[in-house]
Amino acid sequence: MRLLKLVCVICVASTTFAADASPEQAKFFENEVRPLLAEKCYSCHGGDEQKGDLRLDSLATLLSGGESGAAIVPGKPEESLLIEAINYESLEMPPDEKLPDNQIAILTRWVAMGAPWPGANPNTPVRERELFDDEDRSWWAIQPVKPPSIPDPAPPFAQWPRNEIDCFIAESLTSQGLTPAPEADKLSLVRRLYLDVVGLPPTPEEVASFLNDTSLNAYESLVDRLLDSKGYGERAARAWLDLVRYADSDGYRADAYRPDAFRYRDYVIQSFNEDKPYDRFVQEQIAGDEMFPDSLEAQVALGYLRHWVYEWNIRDARTQWTTIIDDVTDTTADVFLGLGLQCAKCHNHKFDPLLQKDYLRLQAYFAPLMPREIDVAESDELADYQTKLQVWKDKTADIQAKIDAIEQPYRDKYRDIAIDRFPDDLKQIARKPPPERSPHEEQLAYLVQLQVQYEHDRLDSHISAKDKEKLIELRRELKEFDSIKPKRLPQAMVVTDVSAVAPETVMPKRKSEIIEPGVPSILDANPMPIDASPSSKTTGRRTALAKWITDPANPLSTRVMANRVWQSHFGRGLAENPSDFGRLGGQPSHPELLDWLSVELVNNGWSLKTLHRKVLLSATYRQSTEHPQFANFQQIDPANTYYWRRDTMRLSAEQIRDSLLSVTGELKDCVGGPGKLADSDCRTIYTRVMRNSPDELLDSFDLPQFFSSNSTRNTTTTPVQSLLMINSDRMLGYARRMAARVQSNSSDLKDQVQFAWQCVYGRTPTPDEIAGSLRFVDQLRAEVAADDVQTKDGLIETAKLPYRDGQSIKFDVNESALQLSVPAHQSFAVADFTIETFFQLRSIAKTGAVRTLVSNWNGSYQTSGWRLGVTGAGSRRKPQTLVLQMVGKKANAQLAEAAIFSDQHIQINTPYYASASFRLPRDGAPGTVTFYLKDLSNDDEPLQVAEIPHDLIGGFDNDLPLTLGSQSGKDVQTFDGLIDDVRFVAKALTVDEILQTVERELPGTIGYWQFETVPGVMRNSAQDQLNIVGRGSAIVNLSPDESALADFCHVLLNSNEFLYVH
Amino acid sequence: MFTNTINHIDIPRTRREFLARSGAGFGAVALAGLTPSDSLAASLPLENAQPSQQPHHKATAKRVIFLFMEGGPSHLDLFDPKPLLNKLAGQRIPDSFGEVITAMGEMKSPLLACKRQWAQHGEGGLWISDWLPHIAECADDLAVIRSCYANGINHSAGVCQMNTCSILSGRPSLGSWVSYGLGTENENLPAFVVMQDNIAQVVNGPRNWGAGFMPAVYQGTRLSEGSQPIPYLNVPEGFTQQRQLTKLDFLNQLNYRFAQTHPEQSELEARIASYELAFRMQADAPEAIDLSSESAETLELYGINDKKTSAYGRLCLLGRRLAERGVRFIQLYSGAGSKWDSHDNIEAKHADLCRGMDRPVAGLLKDLKRRGMLEDTLVVWGGEFGRTPMSEKGNGRDHNPSGFTMWMAGGGVKGGQAIGETDELGLHATVDRLHVHDLHASILHLMGIDNMQLTYKHKGRPERPTVNEGDFCDKLVTG
Repeated sequence: MRLLKLVCVICVASTTFAADASPEQAKFFENEVRPLLAEKCYSCHGGDEQKGDLRLDSLATLLSGGESGAAIVPGKPEESLLIEAINYESLEMPPDEKLPDNQIAILTRWVAMGAPWPGANPNTPVRERELFDDEDRSWWAIQPVKPPSIPDPAPPFAQWPRNEIDCFIAESLTSQGLTPAPEADKLSLVRRLYLDVVGLPPTPEEVASFLNDTSLNAYESLVDRLLDSKGYGERAARAWLDLVRYADSDGYRADAYRPDAFRYRDYVIQSFNEDKPYDRFVQEQIAGDEMFPDSLEAQVALGYLRHWVYEWNIRDARTQWTTIIDDVTDTTADVFLGLGLQCAKCHNHKFDPLLQKDYLRLQAYFAPLMPREIDVAESDELADYQTKLQVWKDKTADIQAKIDAIEQPYRDKYRDIAIDRFPDDLKQIARKPPPERSPHEEQLAYLVQLQVQYEHDRLDSHISAKDKEKLIELRRELKEFDSIKPKRLPQAMVVTDVSAVAPETVMPKRKSEIIEPGVPSILDANPMPIDASPSSKTTGRRTALAKWITDPANPLSTRVMANRVWQSHFGRGLAENPSDFGRLGGQPSHPELLDWLSVELVNNGWSLKTLHRKVLLSATYRQSTEHPQFANFQQIDPANTYYWRRDTMRLSAEQIRDSLLSVTGELKDCVGGPGKLADSDCRTIYTRVMRNSPDELLDSFDLPQFFSSNSTRNTTTTPVQSLLMINSDRMLGYARRMAARVQSNSSDLKDQVQFAWQCVYGRTPTPDEIAGSLRFVDQLRAEVAADDVQTKDGLIETAKLPYRDGQSIKFDVNESALQLSVPAHQSFAVADFTIETFFQLRSIAKTGAVRTLVSNWNGSYQTSGWRLGVTGAGSRRKPQTLVLQMVGKKANAQLAEAAIFSDQHIQINTPYYASASFRLPRDGAPGTVTFYLKDLSNDDEPLQVAEIPHDLIGGFDNDLPLTLGSQSGKDVQTFDGLIDDVRFVAKALTVDEILQTVERELPGTIGYWQFETVPGVMRNSAQDQLNIVGRGSAIVNLSPDESALADFCHVLLNSNEFLYVH
Repeated sequence: MFTNTINHIDIPRTRREFLARSGAGFGAVALAGLTPSDSLAASLPLENAQPSQQPHHKATAKRVIFLFMEGGPSHLDLFDPKPLLNKLAGQRIPDSFGEVITAMGEMKSPLLACKRQWAQHGEGGLWISDWLPHIAECADDLAVIRSCYANGINHSAGVCQMNTCSILSGRPSLGSWVSYGLGTENENLPAFVVMQDNIAQVVNGPRNWGAGFMPAVYQGTRLSEGSQPIPYLNVPEGFTQQRQLTKLDFLNQLNYRFAQTHPEQSELEARIASYELAFRMQADAPEAIDLSSESAETLELYGINDKKTSAYGRLCLLGRRLAERGVRFIQLYSGAGSKWDSHDNIEAKHADLCRGMDRPVAGLLKDLKRRGMLEDTLVVWGGEFGRTPMSEKGNGRDHNPSGFTMWMAGGGVKGGQAIGETDELGLHATVDRLHVHDLHASILHLMGIDNMQLTYKHKGRPERPTVNEGDFCDKLVTG
């Protein structure tokens, strides 16, 4: 194999320097150079200390250098780091004070002379960092994978093995004086298999079906069935998505949603379910555009190269690009090669034979990357779309031209504003005609353009009121052509190369040294030959990399993936650090077994399912967690390194959430698509991964942060987690719904207990357990019945508003009915007032109908009152904006309607603070409504303030209740989404007084409803009256029987037997 | 030492006793003397056994109160006077100062004069502007570091770095490293607590106090005022304490049974204990944040009676109460949600924020001092960066990570001194430059931790709190 040949780099301190210093040189060295080095450098870079891993007290160490590379290049002061450093050009040495010019001159001259060092022998090979020795070359992970011979298990285990895996395990057990545990019982096995392979607990029926299957291959057929089910891909994809740090948001401050990222997630699930050969899976993700240009699937796969975090307002685009490419390099080294290459980003690896140059060699494959959004459509679909689009464009050309005429000046202005924030060189690049840009400049221009786009996306908020009126009218005209406008094609985030010529990759601080793509030098120090891509639009570099990674003889990538398959079933790999096979991690516990698995993977056409099946069918996997000689063996092998038993393992965050949905019977069968919200009933893999606002339940059970590649999950136990489990409304909700399910199954309490037990634990309770459970339910029922704290009015299920603590109220226009109102009260008759709330909309009406936030009005123009809401998409006047709709008296004392629009655009699924501050005309000043709006998910979005005049003079007295989420007197709620704290103050608040500025008690507060446990979800925390009354199917009213059963279910869902699998 | 491999989390020796007691009913174990590390177990790989929780060297600080001025306060208007700035005001910055990339591209905007009155304070003669009259009274306790620099140009990267040492997300925060290295002193409260002066989200949100790749057990806990300081601390609405106890008792029975048949899994006991701890937190956390036992004089000292200063005053007083109760790392955000970020109208914005923070911070220093707590409590003040001498929008200043001021007090720090310098316009740190790495190394050093010796193995690689960089600034203690 060309690629895998071990290369011995012979590097001899050679050529240009003269060790045999002439007498003059020797004198110069001894009188000038050595004393200078000793005085200024040795204290940090001598025998006692080697900062930056650098010693300057011998020629050899000067040449081999430290973390930043060789200190000198004899004869070439301009290329010598030492000379750069003393001139304070890159490093600044000595750090305290720059050397005087004459001393700089001495050292420069010395290097220019060829660095004569009397006594140093040029013929002795220098142990340079770039050199590899035998120990380096014997590193286990780079040895060729050889099919190991399968050991014959010695008696008494001759009968134990079920397949080859067990032969390896048996051999190592014997060597340690250990014996395997007996096979687990069928009950344990069925729960283990379901959770392990599909990530969900088995239903009672599924358990029964396995127990009743007495055929000899019952276990095998269950394994096959599970591997063939859709759940396999949904479970297996999770680990892969961890590795590639998949998320649906940008990360960083703005954390913008990536609406098209999900296609990659669906691609991964589908690939696992189809058992796509691993080599093809890798090739599609790294080089789908070059290798499979005709496959749409392979284009979507390139999303792998787009999951980096992105910060929307970085003006230092050069550094930003470097960070992006570094991230892609780090991730690729981790995911496919199991190499800690990121340690070699700034210096040669401290422990492994990996060079800084190797980092850059890998990075060079990605140097030409260019992000791109593509239409996910076959060519005929695309052509059809374009034809239709052209028709639409032609028919709307006039309107479009008018729109452009209004928008263009704003576009130009905000493009310039965005570009002018960048440093001069980037401004220039951004304004260059694209053909004149170098490939790298094109990449930088892309980053600048994203910030221009950010401004353009917000153009509407800059457009003057006069222009806005015209625009809205034109857009309405345009909308009339919607019926002939083709539906936008699905988009995917992918990459390609910026051009067929790659931007240069250079050594930092050594800009003249151009790095060509290549594999780690210890495997092959030569640059990798790259075949030019046939399309000639790309460099072909990524194809070369993908082919190398998927070369069957690649010792790293094959072992890394085989190890991950093992890890997925045992919670740990045979090699302990699944993404770093470096020497620090030590040898794998069973090197031959790992090699055997690697060979199997390749020999079975890279089929992952086949390998999973092998592992699942092994006797090793089927062991019990218990062992007759437990105490004894625990002394010998406490960590179970040799697999003498099965480990009991806590479920992952996703398994916990999915199990909760499963046992409550709520789990919906979802099939991908855009990320669902956290409160959906879909499996967790289909929910949105927002990097800065993870779901709190998942977060508390160690959901990783998706900023860099994750190869293992933590398992922590904290009181914060326990509080969430035992006290949160969310967990109580699961318990109530599970109780309802259990009750609908049988009316007999004993049967109910038994059924709950089967759902949660996958087993029938023992008589003792039944008796204990019944006692508990009885006691609870008695306590609830006797207890007058139990809320008489029923409970509202609450949820959490993103970026806010505590509870909010969930309204659902389609499902449950919920009317929340505060009965009419004289204090509602206000003059000036402010209504404030926090909310997140799940949908807006397609018509002009308003989604009501808070109202004290019944919608009739004959009745005075007001409501705050969000207009529908079809609103003729102002779509999708905040509105304070009012009926009050005008100067002529007649009732009149005034609809005050804030003109602030409200986005779906975005948390906001919103308020309207109403002020009557006074002292000659006109009356105003001031809207305050703040996007809570992005702190960089300023608080938007809109002051709009009105002509009402008051008269908001009516005998209507104050209602949340619906209009007074109407039974149907019109809000869809979450409403958090609502405050109603009899005063026109200023910006310093609003809730978003400061949460503080305020005189004049009529109501402050926070939906918190204290003082109570429906209670007013401003005063001891004006509490909320709730009606509708969403209100929970439980009898003592139901409460007791729900409590019972709640305890089961908190218990370790539910949260662990054995 | 810190890198040893003895796992201090396992509690196999006490299991039998422990389980025997667990059967006795909920609450009984609470008295059983579990150590905090028993109850807060993380299943760490053996190599990451929690360190021995002994300092590397003698600590002068037992705890840290980090006063985080989020958004970037202007060093030029608070602690680092620059006469040349007013002389050149209105002109472009001379080329000799070197170019920097600023967040809003203000490199060429005219220099903005500083309108402050400056005076020297205390025996050490520290320069402090008239925006901070109360802190000025504590001048001899402050070591003002004028030569800080950082890498983050914008808030997200800056706040991330000031918390984790890296501008890239995903690393554990300083408080997490401290919790990991030193453990907790209070069983019933988290070791690392974060509070903020208003409800806006701190830039980057909770990941600022996250544990990064370390187990969640080391992450900071956000504490808020009010009836529920920790999320879900209270028994749910409609539940009596008795009903809750009955449930927890039954849960304990189930868990006890399960743990008996899975003796190899020590986490199972940790989970039992975590419910006990949660239960105790319900009692202790509200007490810790209840200010009703504080004297009127103390409330006055922190400015709690004044509307302008009460928000941060309450935080500072809570900080002292948590410090007294053994919370090891306390972070108090002033201007949460980048309120210090004064791209325009810096006069009004900074005046207001300084007013809100000055008296509370001085109150904290004075209160700690008179209680004898300043000796071993390190107070750190600063933001993620400073501000530019160049103007923005005519009356504001842009972000400046290349030179800015932070100060430390107490915890063994020698007060009344200024360390380091910026150039004549305050753009770049020039003398005795201190990177964020050095600041963190110094904080850790004062707490008895050597930043290069504390390691956590992640993906098989040893990770250190300061990303393998940073040195202790010994001028902090020697002057």
